[in-house]
Amino acid sequence: MTQPLLEVQDLRTVFTTKDGIVKAVDGVSFELLPGETLGIVGESGCGKSVTALSIMRLQRPGKILGGKVMFKGQDLTRVSEYEMREVRGKEIAMIFQDPMTSLNPVFRVGWQVAEPNRIHQGWDAKKAMTSAVSMLQRVGIPSAASRARDYPHQFSGGMRQRAMIAMGLTTTPQVLIADEPTTALDVTIQAQILDLLRTVNKDFGTATILITHNLGVVAGMCERVIVMYAGKIVEAGPTKDVFANPKHPYTWSLLKSIPRLDEDRHEPLKPIEGLPPSLVDLPSGCAFHPRCSFKVERCSRDVPALLRVGETQLAACWVTQAGTELKGA
Amino acid sequence: MLAKYVARRFLASLVVVLGVTLITLVLMDRTRGTYVPGIDLNPALRPEDIARLRADLGLDRPFYIWYITWIWGVVHGDFGRSMIDGSTVMSHILDRLPNTLELTGTAILIGVLLAIPLGIVGALRRGSKADHTMTVVSVAGFAVPQFWMGLILILIFSVTLEQHGLPWLPSSGAFSAVNGGDIIDRIEHLVLPATVLSFFYISTWSRFIRSSMLEVLSQDYIRTARAKGMSDRRVVYLHGLRNALIPLITLVGLELPGLVSGGLVVEVVFGWPGIGKLAFERALQYDYTTVMGVTFFATLLVIAGNLIADLLYGVFDPRIRYA
Amino acid sequence: MIGQSRVAELEMPGAAVEGVSSRPAQSYWNESWERIRANRVGLAAGILILVFALIAIAAPLFSALLTHFLPQTIDLDVTFHPPGKPNWLGTDELGRDTLTRLIWGGRVTLGVAFLTVAISLTVGSYVGMLAGYYGKWVDDILMRLVDTVLAIPAIFLFILMSILFRPNPITLAIIIASVGWGGVARLVRGEVLSVKERDFILATRSIGARDFRLMLRHLLPNVLPVLIVSASLGVGQIILIEAALDFLGLGIQPPTPSWGNMLTNAESYFFHSFWLVIWPGIAIFATVLASNIFGNAIRDAFDPRLKS
Ligand SMILES: Nc1ncnc2c1ncn2[C@@H]1O[C@H](COP(=O)(O)OP(=O)(O)OP(=O)(O)O)[C@@H](O)[C@H]1O
Ligand SMILES: [Mg+2]
Repeated sequence: MTQPLLEVQDLRTVFTTKDGIVKAVDGVSFELLPGETLGIVGESGCGKSVTALSIMRLQRPGKILGGKVMFKGQDLTRVSEYEMREVRGKEIAMIFQDPMTSLNPVFRVGWQVAEPNRIHQGWDAKKAMTSAVSMLQRVGIPSAASRARDYPHQFSGGMRQRAMIAMGLTTTPQVLIADEPTTALDVTIQAQILDLLRTVNKDFGTATILITHNLGVVAGMCERVIVMYAGKIVEAGPTKDVFANPKHPYTWSLLKSIPRLDEDRHEPLKPIEGLPPSLVDLPSGCAFHPRCSFKVERCSRDVPALLRVGETQLAACWVTQAGTELKGA
Repeated sequence: MLAKYVARRFLASLVVVLGVTLITLVLMDRTRGTYVPGIDLNPALRPEDIARLRADLGLDRPFYIWYITWIWGVVHGDFGRSMIDGSTVMSHILDRLPNTLELTGTAILIGVLLAIPLGIVGALRRGSKADHTMTVVSVAGFAVPQFWMGLILILIFSVTLEQHGLPWLPSSGAFSAVNGGDIIDRIEHLVLPATVLSFFYISTWSRFIRSSMLEVLSQDYIRTARAKGMSDRRVVYLHGLRNALIPLITLVGLELPGLVSGGLVVEVVFGWPGIGKLAFERALQYDYTTVMGVTFFATLLVIAGNLIADLLYGVFDPRIRYA
Repeated sequence: MIGQSRVAELEMPGAAVEGVSSRPAQSYWNESWERIRANRVGLAAGILILVFALIAIAAPLFSALLTHFLPQTIDLDVTFHPPGKPNWLGTDELGRDTLTRLIWGGRVTLGVAFLTVAISLTVGSYVGMLAGYYGKWVDDILMRLVDTVLAIPAIFLFILMSILFRPNPITLAIIIASVGWGGVARLVRGEVLSVKERDFILATRSIGARDFRLMLRHLLPNVLPVLIVSASLGVGQIILIEAALDFLGLGIQPPTPSWGNMLTNAESYFFHSFWLVIWPGIAIFATVLASNIFGNAIRDAFDPRLKS
């Protein structure tokens, strides 16, 4: 087996709010293999972004309470702030959901794209700019040399996200974390950006963590997928296995709730009933049990661990771990 | 584009200038009664003397005629002569302007130079002791009457120190009449009034920078900057401050008219021979021409202040385009 | 494998629930009230102002029962009496009791401040509503007027008007409000413009309600929060302006005491009788401080987004 590039072990991140302690990430473990694209899906507020930010140690004001983030033999939760800065933007780059607000409005796009190399490689302005322009060109910005002199507000949303990607890639990082890179964009632009990410992954060999709401994106992009619910991973495995044969009722109802191309398009959508739980005051046992149509008595009592279920998948569910198939209703 | 914008602004400003001076004139015209500026009404003056004196000053004409005459003069660069001492209004203004600029300019400079670092510290160490202390001091700064603060400073640093035979600071004027006027002497006179004025600016602006900095630091692009792996210093002072300072430009621009009128009360308390004090004293004596001149000048500064602030905004904030 | 073109239709449930739902008006006021009550310091400041106001209203009672002096009683035997008995806060150059004058002065100062706020708000919100509602040339004319008023250095306007009107508390309030309304008008106009385009106004318009009723009934409740916030933030500023005018001799005229004009006199004597300058200053300071703090609390309560 290949050695994982990044290994997250039992990561826990909390926020202290006036309503109580928010356990945004509650014992998350996974690994990222070189060159792969790993999807993280889950409802809004389940802790996807905080997981990603915690890897970069940008989770402020949140606190990492425990766990490890192993990268190149180092535990990133323990290295000094100075060493961490050497990782950020150089070894692990991150792009964000809203390209409209993620670029600094008062600096020229080219300058911002060039900045990582100036910081990390100590390149002079001219050299960094040359490489920024060629990177902008590679991500599909037409007449990149002149557009580099534009300010972010002169770019369209799609172009800004391209610029963000270019900014992440100028230092040829080994890991790219893309946090909902297409959510804020138009449908056609979404497809273009996803194509770009796929090309990047192929051409640069950058391992990618792709965070999304969108199961279609996962299906089209990711070899493996992680499903999160209320700060925990509830299911993980190769995308095609998870989609074909979900082993957690949450995944199951997610898949159930989207229209399938091979089914009658007129069948009404069935959203998951109920709301995601508050992360301050989680239900006892399995956090999903109040919304689960397969629950058994044990589910409200004990928290299930993430264990192997079936050939290739992991699931945290008493029902499937006991061998029951998810079917019907 | 820019030229067109400036031109349109200029026209709108013209309306405002005309409006302001007209309102000023009408107010003075309503108030004056049969008063003759510069002449004590004494019983020895016969009504026909008064009428003659008034006619000499052009006050027998209806105010609109007077106004048109005045505007005509202004267009030709002639602000007329003071009705009290006969010297030109321009010479009065030019005489007082350096003093006013010395006082308010110092105060604004100190204000900006102290407010920016204080505001940044408040934002970065939000909730710390230093932050709380600054909050309390600046909330107090909003609430303390400037003239009262002036009196208290005089009481402490002039009166009490002098009474105890200690070195003390002068409490009145811009320089000593006798053997004065050198740089040390002027600075000594400047300390107290500049302290009062700048205290207010510091209170306002440091709060402002603090909240603008907090706002900026919570923006997505700051997270992007951190994700690039730059030092906190670079994040705060390059990516943060550049954005946080933009709104300050407006605020300081709006203080430009304060160069003339903002220090009026302080000038009166400290007997500072500035433009504000001039306007105050001359208004009490119905010196039309002088008051009109100063008002005109002050209004121009208001307009220029707004315009400069807007233009600078455009320089510092690339999103602004003039349409 | 699902094609990329289908991406949009595969949005997860829950992804779209982030939209802001409009809250019913009632709960907005309740929530604001809750937030005020939760703000201890702000509440204390509000109570302090209330106490000052009550003392001011009951000034005759206080001077009859507590201090046993009248504000204008001159007693040349006890000039410059330091704080002690029977003049707790001392006396001035004419032997008048400082505490009594302070209490009566508060009556004038607070009265002028509240009256000024009332006038500014009434005129300002009326003009702002007219401008915002009718738009076009009405808006142009009114807003140029506002620009003009706000462009005159306020202190000049105050000086000239004070000479014109011979200030008593009522004219002084009018003088200060003559500038104050401009800011309120701008604020209300902006708010009206944004409120105007929401559906319910349009709906009412199509029913054919008369313009004026429409404005009062529908716009006013919507701009009310803005008005309340600007009123509560305005009181402190107005007290400062009024005090400065009094101090310059352009406001309340002696012998009627006001906090500001007590300081005008004090200026001549404070080098030997410091209390003359201390007490009125503290009274102004405390009142302005309290109203600023209270005003901020109100603002935070009504507009949590603005909270700094
Ligand atoms: N700064 C913060 N202070 C307090 N709580 C926070 C903060 N940031 C995030 N949280 C909480 O952490 C939880 C996880 O948030 P996170 O942003 O990771 O969700 P997400 O899965 O990325 O959702 P989305 O799909 O909406 O981006 C949420 O419940 C959120 O309320
Ligand atoms: Mg997120």
